Amino acid sequence: MIEAEATAEMLLMTGTFRSPQTIEEPIEQTIVRAVLEGEHDRFGRLYEMYAPLVHGVLLARVPRDEVDDLVQDIFLHALRKLHTLRNPMAFGPWIAMIARNRAMDFHRAARDMVEVEENTVVAKPANRTAHEVLDFIRQLPDTYRETLCLRFVEGMTGPEIAVRTGLTPASVRVNLHRGMKLLRAKMGVSGTAGNSPSPAGGGLG
Amino acid sequence: MNDDYLWDRTGEPDAEVQQLEDLLGSLRYQPRPLEIPPTMSVRRKRAFIPLAIAAAIALLMIGAGLWVRFANSNRRPVLQAERAPDSTAPARTAPPSNDQAEISATLTEPRDSFSGPRKANRGMVAAKSRRPIQPAEPVLTAEELAQKEQVIVALRLVSVKLNLAQRKAQGLPQINSIRNHKIG
Repeated sequence: MIEAEATAEMLLMTGTFRSPQTIEEPIEQTIVRAVLEGEHDRFGRLYEMYAPLVHGVLLARVPRDEVDDLVQDIFLHALRKLHTLRNPMAFGPWIAMIARNRAMDFHRAARDMVEVEENTVVAKPANRTAHEVLDFIRQLPDTYRETLCLRFVEGMTGPEIAVRTGLTPASVRVNLHRGMKLLRAKMGVSGTAGNSPSPAGGGLG
Repeated sequence: MNDDYLWDRTGEPDAEVQQLEDLLGSLRYQPRPLEIPPTMSVRRKRAFIPLAIAAAIALLMIGAGLWVRFANSNRRPVLQAERAPDSTAPARTAPPSNDQAEISATLTEPRDSFSGPRKANRGMVAAKSRRPIQPAEPVLTAEELAQKEQVIVALRLVSVKLNLAQRKAQGLPQINSIRNHKIG
């Protein structure tokens, strides 16, 4: 009986090894290889796939007006430096890291720029706009604000965020949960100052 | 708050999360074509780094092989010369090899040739511990060995005579060095 089960398992394993899904090359790998071979036009596909990720990463860190231009810059930079990417399957984490570094450079270069302060946002009435909520998110720690931006602004699910950023699903789940908790607390506190009806509502409506 | 809905939009929708999605969704990325400048050049990935590593490893292996071979070729004759005194016991049954044992003993320890027999093991330990590795000397025949002995004795005599002359010139008392050296 045990032998039969073992044989069945072996057959099943063999079956999975033979399945064409495992042989298929990830699309990122194919595109990166093609671009490095000289087909630059195919980089547009990577741009379509990963522009929302870069947009979300930047939106969590830099002023919104700058985000669109920075997205373009980052992809052009990535195209120039594509030959330095060792593992084409890690294109997502790689470009997300470029975006984070670029956001840091942006803040280094523009230290005198006046950012929107918490108080100026809080003083507004209860009905919050998207920009106000985004400013609350930006006040959270890096890991939480990035994950929340990708989830709420770019509309990605937790598993998608994990795949694109290279984080583990467990980390993304924790980031979402704790980030949401912090955001609610922050909005609840500021909601009281801004005459919001209830902390639980977060003054969103 | 419904964690499943926050995680992957499954299960019962959470009102608060939905509200955030609706509100912040207005800031979502608006697709825009990527404008690649026509002058921009993309470098191709080069495979010379792995090749260089492979070449370096191959060179190292060749070098190590040559070194081992060279070291072995240097060491082998010395071991033969130093192990030769051990072969005195079987040499009793075979007279020709007895001569070779004596030759090698004189080659490795020339001082002991006049001071009588010594234990072979002691000489071998001393040779291994004190002396650096040297290339082996050519094996001499009995006749050549006798000639060599004569040359050595002559050199010692000359040395003793020079020593006597020096002492005489310096006015020092004479020493019967011939007796001390047990010559004759």
